[in-house]
Parts: sequence; C-alpha cells; structure tokens
Amino acid sequence: MSLQQTASAIAGPRKGAGNPFRWQFVTPWLLLLPAFLSLASVSVYPILKGLWLSFTNTSLVTQEHDFIGFGNYRLLWVDDLFWNAWWHTITFTAVSTLAETLLGLAIALLLFEHFAFRGVVRAAMLVPWAMPTVVTSKMFGWLFDGQHGLINYLLKSAGIIKDNVNWLGSVDNALWTIIFADVWKTTPFMALLLLAGLHTIPKSLIEAARMDGARSLATFWYVRLPMLLPTLLIAGLFRALDAFRVFDLVYVLTGGGPADSTETLSTLNYKTLFSTLQFGYGSAISTAMFMTEALIALGFCIFLYERLRRQK
Amino acid sequence: MSQDESGRSAAKTALAASLNRRSLLKGASLAAGSMALGGGLLASTSSGARAADRTEITFASAKFYAKKTIAQIVDAFNESQSKIHVKYIELPPPSSSTEVHQALVQQLARRNGAPDVFTQDVVWIAEFAGAGWALPLDEYFPAAARAEYFPGLIDACTYQGKLTALPWIVDGGMLFYRKDLLEAAGAKVPETWADMAMIAAELQKGGKVDFGYLWQGKQAEVLVCDAVEVIASNNGSILSSDGKTASVGSDQAVEAMQFLYDTINKTKISPADVLSWDEEPSRLPFTAGKAAFLRNWSYVYGIAQDPSASSVVDKVGVAPLPHFAGGKSAACLGGYQYGVNASTKNREAAVEFLTWMSSPATQLRFAVDLGLAPTRPAVFNEAELAKEQPFMQTLQGVFTGATPRPVTPKYAQVSLALQSGFSRGLVSGDIKKELTATASKIDAILGT
Repeated sequence: MSLQQTASAIAGPRKGAGNPFRWQFVTPWLLLLPAFLSLASVSVYPILKGLWLSFTNTSLVTQEHDFIGFGNYRLLWVDDLFWNAWWHTITFTAVSTLAETLLGLAIALLLFEHFAFRGVVRAAMLVPWAMPTVVTSKMFGWLFDGQHGLINYLLKSAGIIKDNVNWLGSVDNALWTIIFADVWKTTPFMALLLLAGLHTIPKSLIEAARMDGARSLATFWYVRLPMLLPTLLIAGLFRALDAFRVFDLVYVLTGGGPADSTETLSTLNYKTLFSTLQFGYGSAISTAMFMTEALIALGFCIFLYERLRRQK
Repeated sequence: MSQDESGRSAAKTALAASLNRRSLLKGASLAAGSMALGGGLLASTSSGARAADRTEITFASAKFYAKKTIAQIVDAFNESQSKIHVKYIELPPPSSSTEVHQALVQQLARRNGAPDVFTQDVVWIAEFAGAGWALPLDEYFPAAARAEYFPGLIDACTYQGKLTALPWIVDGGMLFYRKDLLEAAGAKVPETWADMAMIAAELQKGGKVDFGYLWQGKQAEVLVCDAVEVIASNNGSILSSDGKTASVGSDQAVEAMQFLYDTINKTKISPADVLSWDEEPSRLPFTAGKAAFLRNWSYVYGIAQDPSASSVVDKVGVAPLPHFAGGKSAACLGGYQYGVNASTKNREAAVEFLTWMSSPATQLRFAVDLGLAPTRPAVFNEAELAKEQPFMQTLQGVFTGATPRPVTPKYAQVSLALQSGFSRGLVSGDIKKELTATASKIDAILGT
C-alpha cells in the first residue's frame, strides 16, 4: 500500500474509497508492524532459535545437528557442574542484591540530606559504577592477591590478621571475595535509584509527621519506607536480574575455580558455548538460566502487585 | 615488558614507514603512467596479467609480531617466486585464543576452501583433523622430512596415524632458577622433583627467598599444562595411547599430582595462592627476587633480563623441568602449527607455500625477526640465531622433551573436565578420588 493511502486512512474515510471501515481496522496494525518486526528479529527470533537449539545436539566440533528431544535437559538434570553453578549463582544473586539494597538505602538517605558539597559527593559516588567491570575485576585481583595484595597488607598492619589470607585461592573465601567486589561496584547504582525514589515522596507528608511529633526513625519507618517500597522492589528486581548474569568478575578473578567453587551459570555457559562449541547443550543451559530468571522476576512482580493492591 | 613494548612500537613505525614508501612509489608510478598514456596502459595490463598468472591462495594466522610481522614474511614468499600469490588474513593474537579458534572453525566448517593454509594452536589439531577439515600431509612430508622436527611436535601433529599439521613455532614449560642462590648453596640444577623440593625448602628455610617453588594452579588451561608436565615426568598420561580412554586415574598420575599438592601442604615450598595464580601472578615474585624456582613459559626470560622490571637480571637460569625417579623431563607443548584446508582448490600451491614457510631458512627468519622458537632442532645451531637470540638457543634441550596435551577432537571438553578435577584434587587433597572421578567423566565425553 502507498503512503498516500495510509495517510488518507488515518485522516478518515474518503469519498469513493471502497470500504472505509476495513482501513480503519488494518491501519493501526500496519503502524505497529515496524516495531513488531524489529522486536521479532532481535528478540523473539534469537530466543526461539536458542530454544530450538536446546533440543538438538548441535556442535561445531562434532558437526552433528540432530533433534534429540529432551536429551540435553536430561543430561542437565544430572550434571553436578550445572547445579553447582546454579547454587553459586543463586547465592551470589541473593547476597549481593540484599547487601547492595541495604547499603544503597543507607547511602541514599545520607545523600538526600543537605550538606556542603553534596553535588560533588553524589557525583563521586558514581565512580565505581561507571568503571568497566573488567577493570574493576583486575583491580580487585591485585588488591585481594594473597601475597602482594594491599588488603592483606593493611589488615596485617592493623593487627587484624596474623597470616596472609588467601582471598581468591581458597574455596572458603573466593565466592565471598567476588561478592564483595560486586557490592563495591554496584551499590552506587542502587543508591542512585533509591535517591530518585526518595525525591518522589511528597515533603508535606514528612512535615506532617514531624508536626505530629514523629522522630527521624519513626518518620523513616512509617512514612518513607512504605512510600519507597515500590522503588525498592523495582530496583531490587533490576539488580537481581543483573546479578544473576554475573560473568566478568568471575571470569577475570578466578575463572570459576578453585575447585569450581566460584563457577556461575554465565561462566559455565560461556565455556560450553564458546570454548567447546557445544551449541545444543549450551543452549539448554541458557534456557535453564532464562527460566530461573523468569521465576525470580515473577517472585518480585507478585510481591510488587500485592503491595500496590493493598495500598489501593 | 617495556622493552617488549618499545620493540613493538619500533616495529610499527618501521612498518608504517615501509608502507608509506610503498604507497609513495605507487603514486609515482601512477603519475608516470598518466603522463605517458600509452605506456601507462601497457604497464597496467602487464601487471594485471601477471597477477592472473599466479595462483591466489589465502593464509590465515593468529597475529604475532616483533621486529617484523607475519605479513612481511608472506611478502617475502610472494617476491621469492612468480607462480603463487599468498593473501594474508590476520586473526587476533594468541592471547585471544578462543576468538582465533572460533574464527577458524566458522571458516573451515563452510568447506569452501578458504583459507587455503592456516595456523592453529597445538590443542586444536585433533579437532580439525577429526572433523575432516585438515588435509593429511603424509605424502608431501615423508618420514625422512618429519624426522627433522622435534619428535614431540610431530606426535602432536599426528592424528590417528596421519600427519594433519606441520610444526611452525614451539614453546614449552621450563624451570627458571636463581643461578646465584644455587651457587651460594653449592647445589646443582635439580633434575628430579625431590631434589628441587629439597633445595627449595632449604633456601626458603634459610630466609634467602620467601617461596621455594612457584607454579600455576588457577582453574584454567595453564593448570592442565602444569599437570601434564608432572604426570608425564612420572611416566603417566592423561589419555591412553589410542586416545579413546582416560588414564588420568592411574597411580603415576595420582603420585604426580600428589607432589603438586604437597608443595603447598607438606613441603610448603609454594604458597596456597598458586591455586589462584596463572602465569603473570606467579612470575612477579620470581622476577622480584622472592622465589628460588619458577615453572613458566619462555617469555619470562626477557622480563627477567629487563632491569626496569626485574631485580634478578643476570641471575636467572633456565633448565628442563625436573622429573620423578625413573621418569623423563616433560615440557607441556605450546605453540602454533600449520594446517592445510582439506577443501582447498589449490593443493599444490598450498603445499609449496607450506614447505617454504616451514623450511629451515624461513624458521630462522621467524626466530630472529619475530622471536618465535623454531621447531627444527637444526635451526638452533645456526650461528645467526646464537648471535641474535642467544637465550632461545639454550632452549633446545627443553623442547626436546616437549609433550603434547591429550590428543582428541573433544579436547576443549576434556580440558574443562581436567581443570575442574585437578583443581578439586589440589584443594581437597583427595587426589585419588578426584582423578578417578575425572577419568570417568572424560570416558563419558569420549564415549559419546
């Protein structure tokens, strides 16, 4: 159809045009078409293709490409490495999201108050978040190095530890070191989101609370926190979904070791897909990741929905 | 490091200068051509005809450079004869191994003959051969020709009895030691692991160094290399000789890995941090003068001799890695090899280029101009190499014991299983259990 026709269809029925009602019905869909096509090609198609690959034994190395039904998922179900990585990813997501939300909230409350150089402090706070994660990872690699790292040096100088702690080379510490690095990096992001949320709370409510004799703690607990909850949940959702895909920190700091103790789903998936070129099995891991993320998002959404409903 | 970088930038300027000169020349010839129209036309048709006469082949290789580049070596080939013209396709450097691998696999899987000749990491040989992408080269390089290379390299290039790759450059694991400390202690360069551990422990106890022995235990490819070396030096292996079953659960392998575990937990000559260290973190304390022995690749020597990066200039010696009593020293084989695309349409031209590239004369150029170690022992005896790269010449003994990593088309999967299993064993100390479990995992990978 020509542009002119579309234009006239938008403008309304024209004298002599066949059936004006049909164009009225089709036009909105035609206008949606470009958006739909672009979404379909960059989002729907890759997801469906990935899903399809997960039912095949496609591998560039063996040159196989056959449909094997749920074969990959059966393997996945009994794959220790997968469940190992799954638990690490869940632990990482839960702990880092929680820590970043609490710390971020504290920082947001601080930065909300008026004080000298507030603008400078607000800007400086964003520096860790603005750095590329690979750079952060390398930096933390040297900071937490067991022998020549600054952290051990400082802790030893302060008399807190006697012997060097093996931060990255020990199964007991490695995952926590990575979580620490992530908290350092991403807390500013949470603080920023929550700060924006704090600004949306009407000042009059807080003034009213003060007039009623509420102290800061009570104002926070009964006024600010409930008003901030939707922001908290949405920020938490963003953070959790992002944390779930953690890759660069692990890849640079430990490579998944020692003894698989920091392997996460993204690093395992990268190794399977790009190192061993097993596209079929790798896609099954991707699909499992996708489903786990969908569950996490669903959990947050139900909570948020309930909350908003109760508020009404 | 800085020396290396300045060398690189010097090479870049040199290259840029030569490019400028070339384009200048081109411009000059064009101008001359347009002035004398007839002459210009003639010139262009004759050069066009010359290009068409030549068989055009493509050569894809990971990027290596120092004083010269691979492109310059390829140009030298193009100028040395008039039948073949080689177009060089540059892939990422070997440090981006995963990307180089992907690029090659995507190309070769199309089976359209491009690239005709390529270079490959030693661990991909079986994969490419197993997929039928690499042309068997036995008829072009008979046994007598093969005998001119290091035997371990020919083993690595042979898949199911066929030579499917040709050695290009070699690297291997080696023992770096402190000459001054050994001399002062009146000790000889250790030949067995037990001797090494004893000397290391003494030097450490005497306060001469913080660490006796440094190696790489990070759960990564380098751990497989370190493990292959100790296991092979105890007459063990990762896979059986036919490559179909795992032998990493054998007593020899367990004993060898136990030695590595003991360096951290019993003899305590290595810090527990080696479990998170790959090459560079393990190199730093050594070149800072804090360690007696280090297992690493040949690049360390250049840094150790650089006064701006090292406090042990002229105090470092290099020797083949130690072995167990009754075993032989083994160096994990690194380096890149040539391969010919099985679907090439220009087989003869490809083989001719390959022969030239792997000839002693070209290998000497690679060694002197690019700092890449030759795969032919004979080249190590060249006087020019002794003059330009005296250190490289001393490595002949190391590469004689070069041992390939497991040869299997599914190497990438096997390697991941090994990394996980070795790392678990070194952490838990229950080596036997972890290696047995790894062996059955590898059997499952190979069986499918």
